[in-house]
Amino acid sequence: MFKLDRKLLTKASAAAALAIITVGCMGGSSSTSAGVTEIDGKTTIDGGTTYPVMNDKTGPYYVNPQVAADAPKIFNGRIPTANELAAWDKDVMPDGTGLPEGSGSVEDGEEIYEAQCVSCHGDFGSGGGGYPSLSKGNAVDMQKTLTNNRWKDPEADGPTRVFGSYWPQASTLWWYIRDGMPHPKSKTLNDDETYALTAYILNINEFEIDGVEVDDEYVLTREKFLKIKMPNVDGFEPNIDGPDALKRVRAYYANPTNFGALNLNKGAERCMTNCQKKSVTTRRIKNGGIKDFLPPMSDVRDLPKEVAALDVKAVYADNCAMCHGNGVGPGFGNTADWSAYTAKGMNKVYANGIHGTDAGMPPKGGSTLSDADFKSVVDYLINGK
Amino acid sequence: MDNKKSNQEIDRRDFFRKAAAMSVTAIAGTSLVSSNARADDPAIMHHVPWGQNWGDPVTKNRYGVPSKYEHNVLRRNTKLLASGNFRASIAVTPIQESMGIITPNGLFFSRSHGGVAHVDPEEYRLMIHGLVEKPIVLTLEQLKRYPSVTRTHFIECPANGGQEWRGPQFNSIQFAKGFMSSAEWTGVYLKTILEDLGLKPEAQWMLAEGSDNSEMGRTIPIDKVLDDAMIVWGQNGEALRPEQGYPVRILLPGWEGNLMVKWLKRLEFAAEPWYCKEETSKYTALKPTGKAIQHFYANEVNSTVTSPSPEIDWSDLKDGDLVEIEGLAWSGMGTITHVDLSFDGGRNYEKAKLKGLVLPKSWTRWSYMHTYKKGDTLLLTSRAIDDAGYIQPTIDQEVGVMGVESVYHRNAVETWEVNAKGEVNHVQIRS
Repeated sequence: MFKLDRKLLTKASAAAALAIITVGCMGGSSSTSAGVTEIDGKTTIDGGTTYPVMNDKTGPYYVNPQVAADAPKIFNGRIPTANELAAWDKDVMPDGTGLPEGSGSVEDGEEIYEAQCVSCHGDFGSGGGGYPSLSKGNAVDMQKTLTNNRWKDPEADGPTRVFGSYWPQASTLWWYIRDGMPHPKSKTLNDDETYALTAYILNINEFEIDGVEVDDEYVLTREKFLKIKMPNVDGFEPNIDGPDALKRVRAYYANPTNFGALNLNKGAERCMTNCQKKSVTTRRIKNGGIKDFLPPMSDVRDLPKEVAALDVKAVYADNCAMCHGNGVGPGFGNTADWSAYTAKGMNKVYANGIHGTDAGMPPKGGSTLSDADFKSVVDYLINGK
Repeated sequence: MDNKKSNQEIDRRDFFRKAAAMSVTAIAGTSLVSSNARADDPAIMHHVPWGQNWGDPVTKNRYGVPSKYEHNVLRRNTKLLASGNFRASIAVTPIQESMGIITPNGLFFSRSHGGVAHVDPEEYRLMIHGLVEKPIVLTLEQLKRYPSVTRTHFIECPANGGQEWRGPQFNSIQFAKGFMSSAEWTGVYLKTILEDLGLKPEAQWMLAEGSDNSEMGRTIPIDKVLDDAMIVWGQNGEALRPEQGYPVRILLPGWEGNLMVKWLKRLEFAAEPWYCKEETSKYTALKPTGKAIQHFYANEVNSTVTSPSPEIDWSDLKDGDLVEIEGLAWSGMGTITHVDLSFDGGRNYEKAKLKGLVLPKSWTRWSYMHTYKKGDTLLLTSRAIDDAGYIQPTIDQEVGVMGVESVYHRNAVETWEVNAKGEVNHVQIRS
């Protein structure tokens, strides 16, 4: 059992005290590295300063030393039951920990995708409405675009960062689909449906598993899933896998040139005059830049305007159109679509809208309207005017 | 002692002498102004409604709200940074109106991946398990019974300024720098809870998972967990706002805002990392080599001029006016030690003055008194240094290493151009 090592902490404190005294002697010289950047003799994980407790203070804050002494004796909660642990411990790790047995076909996945995903992620995962693309073609080819950089030619093609080309692990996809998707009503897909959707996304990214193309007939299982090789698995730094991971991460952030930072070497003065060439240019915002700010920018201090009347069109565009305007759910002004619902009476339609339905209708479409205003929007949606 | 006393007396006499001299000038000045004035100021000459009529009873607004005149001081959003229906989206803080080093709770920037969750505190549970000797479940009341600490830290989205790698896009400090806010947080050090639970030696990583619709999760290294990581429930003296994870979020001083999981539900310890969606598909910084930095923890040293700003400029200043140039500096890697200010876009720097509290991994205010010369064009560039020795790079220096595709962790110096009319525009200085 590993408890926080008080001896090591004390040692770190002593080192810290020395470091601070050293700085004091230099009179706060402008360019001296002053911070304590070690904990227990190890470089800090982020390359930054740490403030170990010394003389009952951490940095400028006083701490109550009784707390450290009493902490090992405090147990305010209870031990979770096995069922509780199982209910919440559902994460999926790259080695398959947490990944349940199950299977799903590309064909079934496509069906679920068309019903529940396409309204945000677009046809074949092409993206849209601000939601991410899930594919831009062949994953192996797309991975090669990651060295594209638009710093000289802003019109050039940038890197393509989608699931197939960029993500290092497939486990992330399975886990996120089951727990975070579909976005308006997450945690509603079962394990087989999750396998099916995963299979479909592998299909549109043109994956091969163990030399076999994930074609339209493919059926994904746990066993096959664990053989997925992501094209960009080695595309990330620092390496965070294995027992020496933290040592590697510390070493990475101990070198500012790894991550585009600049550190004044001990004793070095920062430049105060003639720090850059006269030939530098001033780049201005092009074409007015981005200014569709909501609400519009203003620093005026006057009485607020009267609240505008309900704008059903705007509410429809923001909250309803993504489904009702995309063939998911009965369509805008489509009386044929709606007749099955309106036949049961408008009160039932309103109630479904206000409280939401299992078919995916979020309560009030996710809006915060009053019931009366929401009913006006429903009328507008059904009548198309 | 006697010496000191007499020195003080001399000082006081000096002050009175100066004050007397000044009041003569002041009186002369006033008479000069009043004799030139076209009309008396009605704001002074008339009774005002609030001076005659009853104000609100103290029974109104049991929870106070800002003056109705402050209705334009708001979080704002833009469609560029919004998923469809503003649920996987961000609304940013009006830095141009910020004062001191605290953001009011109602203006704290709001970022969520599945909308702002509204957690019932009665049903709130926090589970800590995995490579610990003793797993635990806590109710909110049980959690809050741990001994608390209170710390002032900023939280910054690592995409703050990330839309401008390829050139300036926002003529606005709210959008160019407002993906951050600061508060005084109250909670418990995670290491205090772990002292009892007992971490197993092979534990290297901690998963923090939210209870929201997106089940937002991130992997955090043990080093931070045992250093200054906190589980917090208090924000500026009250409960966390829903936008900040009510009732409980994790706070990792100085690190990426995204790591500070809100609506916190579960902490699990393991030997290997998790590869959550928001630490692979996003929040990774692609370099020109084609490799991307993952687990990019601390927001590096940074600063900005907050006054003037593109929003609140100097077009109302007169020639010769003395004006305070003010700004913020911050570092997720330590404490701000110096801020420099350039009037020529970073060619030459003057030392600015820090003011107020200077705290670790916190917003720090800085100031410089300036005599405004009407018609001058200025390129105001600030540059901060922290106690770990980090200094803000120029844009050329940062882009030279990171390229322009990395989205996150942009901390190069930023420049406001003050034109001859006193208007302020966001520009970038490049070779």
